[in-house]
Amino acid sequence: MTVPHEEVPAARRALQLPRRTRARVRAAVDEELEFHLDMVVAELVAAGWQPADAEGEARRRFGDIAYTRDYCSAESLRRERGQHRMATFDELFRDLKFTARTLLRAPGFTLIVLFTLALGIGANTAIFSVVRSVLLEPLPFAAPDRLVRVWHANRADDVSEGAVSEPDYIDWRRENTVAESMGGFFFADGQTSVDFTGDGAPQDLKAALAAEEFFETLGTAPALGRTFTAEDQLEGRNRVVVLGYGLWESRFGSAPDIIGRRITLNGEPFSVVGVMPRNFTYPADQQLDVWIPLSYFGPDDIGRVRAARFLQVIARLKPGVTEAQFASAMNTISARLAGAYTENAGWESVTVKPMRESIVGSVQRPLSLLLGAVALVLLITCVNVASLLLTRASARERELAVRSALGAGRGRIIRQLLTESLTLALLGGALGVGLAMFALRALARSSAASLPRSIDLSLDGTVLAFTLVISLLSGLLFGLMPTLRVAGPSLEGALRGGRGALGKSGGRLRNALVIAQVALAVVLITAAGLTTKSLLRLLSVDMGFNPDNALVVSMGVPERYSTPGAALTYYESILEAIRQVPGVRAVGSVRDLPTQGNGEMRKPDPVGSTTVQPGQSPPVYLHHVSKDYFTAMEIPLKSGRFFEPTDREGAPVVFLVNETMAKLYWPGEDAVGKAIRMGPQEFRIVGVVGDVRQRGPAEAVDPQMFIHIAQNRRSHMGIVARTDGDPLALATAVRQAIWNVDKDQTISSVGTLNDLVGRAVSRPRLLASLLVLFGLLGLTLGALGIYGVLAFAVSQRRQEIGVRVALGASPRSVLGLVVGQGMKLSAAGVAIGIAGAAALAGTLQAVLFEMPSVDPATFAQTVAVLMGAALLASWLPARRALAIDPATALREE
Amino acid sequence: MAREPLSLLQGTADVLILKALAWKPMHGYGIAVWIRQRTENDLALEDAALYQALHRLERKGWVESEWGVSENNRRAKFYSIAKSGRQHLRAEVVELRRYFDALFRVLDTA
Repeated sequence: MTVPHEEVPAARRALQLPRRTRARVRAAVDEELEFHLDMVVAELVAAGWQPADAEGEARRRFGDIAYTRDYCSAESLRRERGQHRMATFDELFRDLKFTARTLLRAPGFTLIVLFTLALGIGANTAIFSVVRSVLLEPLPFAAPDRLVRVWHANRADDVSEGAVSEPDYIDWRRENTVAESMGGFFFADGQTSVDFTGDGAPQDLKAALAAEEFFETLGTAPALGRTFTAEDQLEGRNRVVVLGYGLWESRFGSAPDIIGRRITLNGEPFSVVGVMPRNFTYPADQQLDVWIPLSYFGPDDIGRVRAARFLQVIARLKPGVTEAQFASAMNTISARLAGAYTENAGWESVTVKPMRESIVGSVQRPLSLLLGAVALVLLITCVNVASLLLTRASARERELAVRSALGAGRGRIIRQLLTESLTLALLGGALGVGLAMFALRALARSSAASLPRSIDLSLDGTVLAFTLVISLLSGLLFGLMPTLRVAGPSLEGALRGGRGALGKSGGRLRNALVIAQVALAVVLITAAGLTTKSLLRLLSVDMGFNPDNALVVSMGVPERYSTPGAALTYYESILEAIRQVPGVRAVGSVRDLPTQGNGEMRKPDPVGSTTVQPGQSPPVYLHHVSKDYFTAMEIPLKSGRFFEPTDREGAPVVFLVNETMAKLYWPGEDAVGKAIRMGPQEFRIVGVVGDVRQRGPAEAVDPQMFIHIAQNRRSHMGIVARTDGDPLALATAVRQAIWNVDKDQTISSVGTLNDLVGRAVSRPRLLASLLVLFGLLGLTLGALGIYGVLAFAVSQRRQEIGVRVALGASPRSVLGLVVGQGMKLSAAGVAIGIAGAAALAGTLQAVLFEMPSVDPATFAQTVAVLMGAALLASWLPARRALAIDPATALREE
Repeated sequence: MAREPLSLLQGTADVLILKALAWKPMHGYGIAVWIRQRTENDLALEDAALYQALHRLERKGWVESEWGVSENNRRAKFYSIAKSGRQHLRAEVVELRRYFDALFRVLDTA
């Protein structure tokens, strides 16, 4: 750095005089030129000119005076401005240089502060980038505020978010006057898929079936080509497909000429009409391969009748129509349809939700909680750093007092200290960004898959700006606390009297900071404890089957086995092939594996039930299962029998029911031998099986009934193979067994039953593990804070302790002195923290599973954990106090 | 013997001024006189150009200035050469010499 100091007049620099005005610069230039002209006149006169003529001659010889004046003034002003900038810059540079020296002189302190800050800021950066991507990014639709999701509701059956049948959907579209457009789709994550064959390996593509105006309603422009038109839904013209960006990239190498190309889906040629942009994956959370016209596809054997409710509906409100007006208009239509068609009895209303809520509503609260938790972590971090700085400031109080006495102004000292804290904050922030990058990668790998709209979690400009802002704010926060104290009027006191005035009130401030840290840590740890307990409770829920040692395979019977006989034969030969695989003990199949769907709703009338009146039946969920499904799942038989090979086509159709249904329909009686009526027919119940938590561990058990696939079946197969050892070890053999039956069979997924169940609790697991992480951070920082304050106190009180020991104080009482101070501070912090945690408990209630948010046991455990940590943190400095040799300690001063 | 003085080549005014100041700190008039004497009226540096150059050089940091008292007891602005100005002067002289050497190698042999 070559700042020519000489350029700036020393006095002006020191006094920080303001820059010269334009007028003064001009006056100086005039004076200079005046002097020159006078000298030339004198010279001319000496050479014999008449004084009257000499003046004019001098000016003539000079040249353009007016221009020169302007030119010189301008140059001078430019120089002044440059100097001013230089001086400011120079000062900042000197502050920074001084800061660097100070920080390097105490590397341990600096490292601890930077590490602490990096953790705090990094955690905030990582969580914020998740929040931004999931909650804050605008939805990838045109004018998303006018978009809503619409569900069919049946209040009598307690169904508020039901699917819509195709005939109802058509009537809704035709009769309503409140929607600009209304679209529908059918999509079930992991289930709606098409086989993609042709070039390369056969692939199972994640598909959504788009009904009329699905794309028009969302209003997202395709990245390439076009979306579907009304014509694409017409029979015979509906072999068209819109590709997802990811598939276009991975499978077609982002070919620009993809439009019009023919690809083979489910064995039929489809022509590609468009590619959607990368961020458009609706209705999937993360990624979707293709959109296909609904008209092409009968959704998994479900017909187009009013009883078959499978469509999801979206609508764009007309401008000026409110959500309430829309809902009330749709209710009227629903009520009319409910009166007009017996299949619609009870389906008298709709549920309407804003699009955003329908997509991210379920994660809004957990994410806000996490954001709150990391904010607490950052607050603890700041308090911790503030108390570290304060401790050091006390140690530096003489240095600062000397500098102050030597004429450094109060502003100058504050600026120096703020430069220090801001430098620390920015460095810490930079390290934090590095940590956040790691954290995001780990998050993306683990359970971010359970979050919608988290395709690319990355640190972009917005996130970095956020990091910069919180870094600066933190720097100001932890920088100002000690700074204001140090720059106080007590400096001369500090200079004059050894142990200065700072000691006492500085100590009070330090104590307050420790109490604040402990209190904040208590809040965090309570939250971590509650969510962890809730997660454990969730994990220990008895699902009703044995999730260990079971391989699950998801696939669909191809269209080519379309005749009933062929389909059943194929279905059974697949199961038989898997059963032959060594290591497989039992194999069964169901349309919807647990957590993957809830079967089909039916309302059977019981024959001779005392509790359920005909026509008033509650909804019961029907599952199509293979003979050995229950054996393979290890679902116990409660009474009667399982399905037998004799329950086939031609034989009387029989049902199994679960315990919940048995109790609901025939309380206190054995359901075996009873009958139900669906339509005109009566069916016999032959067995009762144990309850299964079909919709996940946090959900209630629904009444279920089961029919044997040999009497009625669906094309989707959720196969479960009970294995002797590690189920994944058999994955390859099982795949091969399936391909031995039909080498073109596509397989949607192969995994373990445990993973299926685990995925259902992945969000609570993510929440709990992050909160535990943050809680531990808070605990560590809090303990560090206690340790720091006590260690400092011990070093400050060396003489006092020395005197006590010299006067015969027992080691016990010295220990008590130090540990007592630590415990007193922690107790105060814990008390405040518990009060805070209790006050904030309400916000946690919604994410907890079957437990109160004010849980005395958890609170007690938090107290125990914190006091334990506090005891440990106090013990170490106390031991140092014990080691004080009274003789040396007293000689020191 | 009155020859028309040659007008200065572009940029050589700066070199002359720096050379003058390398001698000793001077005010603008002093520099004008110094140059006139050294060049024996062969080179004409207009006063306007001189002052413009001085202020430009000062802005560039090659010369510094301070108000002082002149020989006839008047307030005058004295210029002195800065360290960076000396370096610049040295470099410029080398450049100019190279330039004219090359030029005259051609003119003398042709």
